[in-house]
Amino acid sequence: MDELRAAIAIARKDLRSLLRYRIAVASYVFTPLYQFIIPAFLFGSAFAVNGHASGLATTLGTDDLAGFIFFGGIIGAIISTAFWGMAMSIRNEMDMGTLEPSWLTPTSHATFIIGRALGGLTIFVAMQLVLFAFGIVFLGLRLRAEMIFALPAVILAMGAMVGVAYMLAAIVLLIREANFFIDTANFAFGTITGVSFPITLLPGILQPVALILPTTYAVDILRAQALGSRPLFDMRLEYAVLVLLTALLFPLGRYAFAKAELLMRRRGMLAQY
Amino acid sequence: MTRIAADARAFIAAARTHLRQQRRYPTYFLGLLFWPVLLPSAWVLMGRAYSGNDPGALAAFAARAGSENVTVFVFVGYAMYMWLSSLLWGPGTILRQEQVRGTLEAVFLTPASRIVPLFAPGVTVLIPMSLSFLVMGGALWLFFGIVPPVAAILRAAVIVVLGVPALYAIGSLFSAAVLRFGEIGPIVQLVRGVFVLACGITFPVAMLPIWAQVGAWILPPTYIVDDIRRVLLRGAGLGELWPNLLTVVLIAAVTAMLAVLVFRYLEASARRSGMLGRF
Amino acid sequence: MTAPAVETKNLVKVFEKGRRTIWQRLRREPDRRERFRAVDGIDLRVESGEIFGLLGPNGAGKTTTMKMLATLLIPTSGTIRVLGIDPLERPREVRARLGAMLSGERSLYWKLTARENLEYFAALYHVPPTETDQRIAGVLTAVKLTDRAEDYVERYSTGMRQRLALARALLPDPPLIILDEPTVGLDPQASRDLRDRVRELRAQGRTVLLTTHYMEEADQLCDRVAIIDHGRIVALDTPAALKRTIRAEEVVHLEIGVVGDDAPMLDRLGRSATLARSERRNGTLSVTAHCASARDFVPAAFDAARSNGATIRHVEVVPVTLEDVFLALTGRQLRE
Repeated sequence: MDELRAAIAIARKDLRSLLRYRIAVASYVFTPLYQFIIPAFLFGSAFAVNGHASGLATTLGTDDLAGFIFFGGIIGAIISTAFWGMAMSIRNEMDMGTLEPSWLTPTSHATFIIGRALGGLTIFVAMQLVLFAFGIVFLGLRLRAEMIFALPAVILAMGAMVGVAYMLAAIVLLIREANFFIDTANFAFGTITGVSFPITLLPGILQPVALILPTTYAVDILRAQALGSRPLFDMRLEYAVLVLLTALLFPLGRYAFAKAELLMRRRGMLAQY
Repeated sequence: MTRIAADARAFIAAARTHLRQQRRYPTYFLGLLFWPVLLPSAWVLMGRAYSGNDPGALAAFAARAGSENVTVFVFVGYAMYMWLSSLLWGPGTILRQEQVRGTLEAVFLTPASRIVPLFAPGVTVLIPMSLSFLVMGGALWLFFGIVPPVAAILRAAVIVVLGVPALYAIGSLFSAAVLRFGEIGPIVQLVRGVFVLACGITFPVAMLPIWAQVGAWILPPTYIVDDIRRVLLRGAGLGELWPNLLTVVLIAAVTAMLAVLVFRYLEASARRSGMLGRF
Repeated sequence: MTAPAVETKNLVKVFEKGRRTIWQRLRREPDRRERFRAVDGIDLRVESGEIFGLLGPNGAGKTTTMKMLATLLIPTSGTIRVLGIDPLERPREVRARLGAMLSGERSLYWKLTARENLEYFAALYHVPPTETDQRIAGVLTAVKLTDRAEDYVERYSTGMRQRLALARALLPDPPLIILDEPTVGLDPQASRDLRDRVRELRAQGRTVLLTTHYMEEADQLCDRVAIIDHGRIVALDTPAALKRTIRAEEVVHLEIGVVGDDAPMLDRLGRSATLARSERRNGTLSVTAHCASARDFVPAAFDAARSNGATIRHVEVVPVTLEDVFLALTGRQLRE
């Protein structure tokens, strides 16, 4: 119970700090719009024949261009939350000097990732609501009731990404150039998992990598349910792999994080910047 | 030594100092290898997803973009994106860092012209920018097997050289704003967003609503990116592009003069408000 | 006899300088990194209810010792007991009973108010929700920040931020508080203010362990002081007892203009006092002498100078301080 309260306090502190920077809040919505959603939509529309994304239909089995982009964006945002919101923010606190006093409290250090996951989840939901509203009003985005069946896949992906965030936090607490690592790894992870195009288009050597990422199955199930696109495999199999990967990644991440923490206590890097 | 010669020396010294500082951040150079390859490659694959196996889709794209070659189209767009990112972010960010560190005040205490800190950092940005162009060319050749004709590459290089002053001037305008407003990161982010959406970076300008297209054609990057695509994708000669190029050079001259004026005005205002040493 | 608040035996911390590359690890090359003994066999016993100071220059091993006590660092060897608990075995139990202020003003969230900072840390310290408001009010009163509780920390002065960091350390109502250089960077008024707060903590029956490189601070504030240098404790006692060890009542600083050999004069000065330090620079010899009485020593010093053709340019007589004790023990000054 104490740990849950601590996790909620961490989430609340993150949200409070974020809300103090109004421009940061605006850029949470504006950046995905200008960097991905609008350019991708207009780029995709450039291939449309009589207003119909016939090329996409041959690739995916659906011509719902806006849906393809927005539902990919959901998984992309979950990935970014894990990379930046959960893992990198711990490093930022270390650089600022606030991690040390937090780690002097009896709260388990693993709870600091869970707290950030809660805060990140709140920001994620708020951001997606605004983006979807924009999509519906300006880009003709339509929602199908069946998308609700993909909810378990999204929740599982979040759980798996918390495990990934533990591993990432272990790395960024130990390496010097954390910002560059997170920035590039986040982009590579999202691209390889199929956020912006189906993984069948990836070069051959990257396809096995895509298949070990939990979000690959989540984005595929989500698009299949919400847009009626062709899934990569049988969806029951995809669910099974997703459950397995989540069950594996979470303890693996916790283990890596505990190891990194131990190493830091031996080497004494906490609060050094 | 004449005043101009002394200022020229100060200019070179300021540029060299920034270059030396840049060397201390090796990941900056790693980023120059990573992003120019990954970003456009991802968009080329997106293009393949959107065109699929439908020849009609590719034909529709060609009708709007002027070429079926999605790969070169995207790579040229991203070259401009990298260029904009470095020139919009670069000089302003360096000036801002100097302001926060307190070294800007120290520079202003010297007899060197005020123009030195405004324009010198931009020069250092040109080096990594050229490197990213080279990396992109290498990626086009290695991963997509595309090598444009040498004559077309040379013509593109001429357009780049003519385009540099315009973008450089826009970057300097932001640097000037640093003096008065301090943190300008969010504004630059917004402006970069507008440029990305308006100037045909990742999609043809024809996809924009008419009112936005009118706006796009007063921004120099739109001309530059369009001209480079025309020489690389359609073999256009410089002769047929001269009205565009003249427009770019004129916009550059106006923007540069504006940057100097705004800088002078804001510097005076910063001296009154004490913003030079504050952040 | 009650258990000590802190007890360490033969505490050692060795750091490796630099890193082994992955290539070196894969090739199983021998580890040739330089090793640095930051803490080199410290035995410490801090009794309950006292203010105990670790006094030493920068880099002496004070902060490393504090971090090991606070569970942030694992010792290379030796044992630690904090309030009777082994921090290696049960780190979270130690943290629940320990108030620590290690990195001062940087350790706060500047975009949050003081109260928001404390609410956050109260949850991390597992303060029960029903007690949180009362506990926050108590610690704010203790550091005299109640009227500024709703202000953003970015608007605070350095001294106020240090006090808020101290308030945070008090949140778990700890019997033991450790403070690492609590007054560094503060102006004299703010330093005095913080020292007053520390004395109040002792009056409340808490134990305070602090590090400092300010001798006046150790002298005025601490019941006992351990002088630490190169990772070792070189002396440990009450400030008064430490000062008595150099067997002098007064310290005389002399500046002497010298031409030629200064050895005979130093030899003569050494007969009337203990010369703690002598240094010659550009024809000026600076001497620090520990003596029983300056009234007797100073005329003798003038005689010695005159008979060696030297001139005394400046004389300063000061009472014995912990600085002199450090000088006598290590041959160096605290701020060197």
